[in-house]
Amino acid sequence: MTRVTPDRVVGVAALVLAVLAPLYLSSYWVGTLLTQMLFLGIVAASLIFLSAYGGMVSLGQVAIYGIAGFVVGNVTTNGNTKGLNLGWSPWWGVVLGLAIAVAAALLFGALASRSVGIYFLMITLTYSVIANLTFGQVTDVSGFGGISGIPAPKHIGPVDAHQNRLYYVALGVALAVYLLLRYISRTPFGLTLQGLRDDPVRMASLGYNVLLHRTIAFAFAGFVAGVGGVLFVWWNGHIDPASIDLSATIDVLVIAVVGGLYRIEGAWVGALFFVIINNYSQQISFIGPRFHTLIGAIFLVIVLVSPGGLVGLWDRAIALSPFRRRGPTDRNPIEAGQVEPSV
Amino acid sequence: MRALKSRWKLIPLAGAVIVAATAVAATATARNSASPIRIAVLSDCQGAFGSFDNQDMAGVVTAMVQYAGAKAKNPNKPRDGWVGGQINGHPLKLVGIGCSNDRADTAIKETKRLMEQLKADIMIGPLSGDESIAVANYAKQHPTKTFVDGAAGAQDTTLKVRAKNFFRFNGDGAQWNAGLGDLAYNKLGWKTAAVVADDYSFAWTSAAGFVAEFCAVGGKVTKRVFPPLNTTDYSSYAQQMPTNVDGTFVAVGGAGLIPFLKAYEQAHGPIDGKKFIGNLFWGTPGQFEQLSSRVAGAYVGGAGTAGDLATPAAQAYNKMVGKVFKQIPPFGAAAPQASSTFTFGYYVNTWGLLAGLKAVKGDISGGQKKLQAAIGKVKLRTPYGPVHLDKNRQAVIPVYYQQLYLKNGKLAVKTVGYIPGVDQSFGGTFTSKTPAPGRNFPACVKRNLPWIGHTRVPKVTG
Repeated sequence: MTRVTPDRVVGVAALVLAVLAPLYLSSYWVGTLLTQMLFLGIVAASLIFLSAYGGMVSLGQVAIYGIAGFVVGNVTTNGNTKGLNLGWSPWWGVVLGLAIAVAAALLFGALASRSVGIYFLMITLTYSVIANLTFGQVTDVSGFGGISGIPAPKHIGPVDAHQNRLYYVALGVALAVYLLLRYISRTPFGLTLQGLRDDPVRMASLGYNVLLHRTIAFAFAGFVAGVGGVLFVWWNGHIDPASIDLSATIDVLVIAVVGGLYRIEGAWVGALFFVIINNYSQQISFIGPRFHTLIGAIFLVIVLVSPGGLVGLWDRAIALSPFRRRGPTDRNPIEAGQVEPSV
Repeated sequence: MRALKSRWKLIPLAGAVIVAATAVAATATARNSASPIRIAVLSDCQGAFGSFDNQDMAGVVTAMVQYAGAKAKNPNKPRDGWVGGQINGHPLKLVGIGCSNDRADTAIKETKRLMEQLKADIMIGPLSGDESIAVANYAKQHPTKTFVDGAAGAQDTTLKVRAKNFFRFNGDGAQWNAGLGDLAYNKLGWKTAAVVADDYSFAWTSAAGFVAEFCAVGGKVTKRVFPPLNTTDYSSYAQQMPTNVDGTFVAVGGAGLIPFLKAYEQAHGPIDGKKFIGNLFWGTPGQFEQLSSRVAGAYVGGAGTAGDLATPAAQAYNKMVGKVFKQIPPFGAAAPQASSTFTFGYYVNTWGLLAGLKAVKGDISGGQKKLQAAIGKVKLRTPYGPVHLDKNRQAVIPVYYQQLYLKNGKLAVKTVGYIPGVDQSFGGTFTSKTPAPGRNFPACVKRNLPWIGHTRVPKVTG
């Protein structure tokens, strides 16, 4: 019998609230804020997966998300914007977008998998910069102004006229991504990845191919980030190099850290927090365009007070409550916050 | 008892009086509180054009004061917006001012916030090229809302995107440079030229105007260099500029212009103004004062504006801006900034919108279809000449170009050329089927342009 835990109760309640959101929230909240939260959460989940299970904190996820988005933009637009304007079906755009994003992630992963710690961070940051400058400079595929008028598939769009459709698609995809990441983490591949995270030397001596595992993990996370990129361009109808600049890269890192780098759920918690702060803080006159200063301060406080992010606070609250988990936990040590991830 | 009965008889009468009074009050209330029209403005308060944020808002507010009876909230800070203002009893409510940064991605985010969260009916803006292409595409998805441009001059916005609810009463970058190619080839004697322009839609359009006309009359553009917008170190781009040409056209704008010219001087020595033509940024009030006096003699493409035009309308406009605002930060006194691309761009677009609203008596019902049809027919007698919209809702405008000169040891601008009625096709050079202006388009070929040899000299003050 499935055990009822506070985590599961809250998870199911959140899902029910999300499904019913269009009934009690405004169309702006659903179509703009929550949809944005869902796809940003997917990108952050790819980062958290790499960090929590592979010990790799990647700053390259936004680059891969952007590659998927730019590919979709180039192949699905038709005539009146920058880029290739191939005018293909949006579904072919998804296939090609994800395929190229995964191929790029495989290449990026193969190059970065030999490095660890700060060097891994710097190499993946380089990927973001390369993607940003490439799409800015190569005007055949984008240029500074980017690609506008990117269509969503007929059954979903036009997005602005049927905002709930894309919301539910994003919700379904986010749920699928969450379940997939949970599943992967429990497969032999996921367990091997956690072993590589904790002691790569020992795993190598046991005969595991460390580099190959890390590369495949990076490519898989790239697939997840690419899914987020596709949803982003459907939602925004536009992508340009500023969509994947350094600021966007840091935003996804902030989302992951604020949500909690140790648990996949943290991605959407952090994304919701980020999106709300981003949206409403600008209406406060003394903050206005100084949003990044505010989110930077919040980031600092979260890192100092709760290295496990907002989800870490929840874990602490549960640990102190009568509902605290008893007996052996099914979560790995890093999820339980007992071990610091190696970066 | 009888008295009581007579009182009962009064009850229906009293009821009738109350109903009648309520009806009268309701009618009066309805007359006095016609539904407000919710207006948003999208400006750039950050990025390369962030320093012109208050000029943008000064243009909007001045038009609101002049044509809708509004009042500036703060005469020293246009960004505070306006109070009051109505069209046929419909209050013009400012619901928000977006803060973009010349990037399309930010412009879209801000547009969504203004239109969807703050529920604006109409938006005025954005400021720059790529932003306007993205906003015009957004407008296409929202046909029941109306958008008028701010000061953006990318060609694609109206020639390619062609959203039926996006209107632009200012010219595009190519239109603004009409006359410069003819001037360079036939008056300055340039046979060859180099072009440097920011690597984005507006500057491509701006360069396209010069290239198309210079080549049309027989000139050759031997090199085109495109530094990214927001570049801070232009040294590598300045190094690429050839010196074996007769002149150089510079379409580096906003915060990049001064750093580019400094880098150019470091690479090639002091600038000779006579060998340079700049686009509108060289003559934008608040900007040209910062240029070195060495650029005196350079010609400057306009933005359909001429602050020194000696017509009563042009002078009245300068006075109007000076009357509504004392200061437009950060550049100081308001009146001299009236002819800025940004002040005038936002002013003329807001005016066009208000003229449309007046034509429909403020009625924006029916998905704003009547309003949009009315705006398309608006003809304005602007301070600088007549403006009307073409079939793509793009303005056909009078164009002026200027020259920098030294006045009491300081740089000043005087208007020296005038071409009326320049349309976006640029004499048939650009159509919706031709490639968008870019790094390689238009090609350098000879062609006929209707205004070659017909540039007039306007009467100016001072």
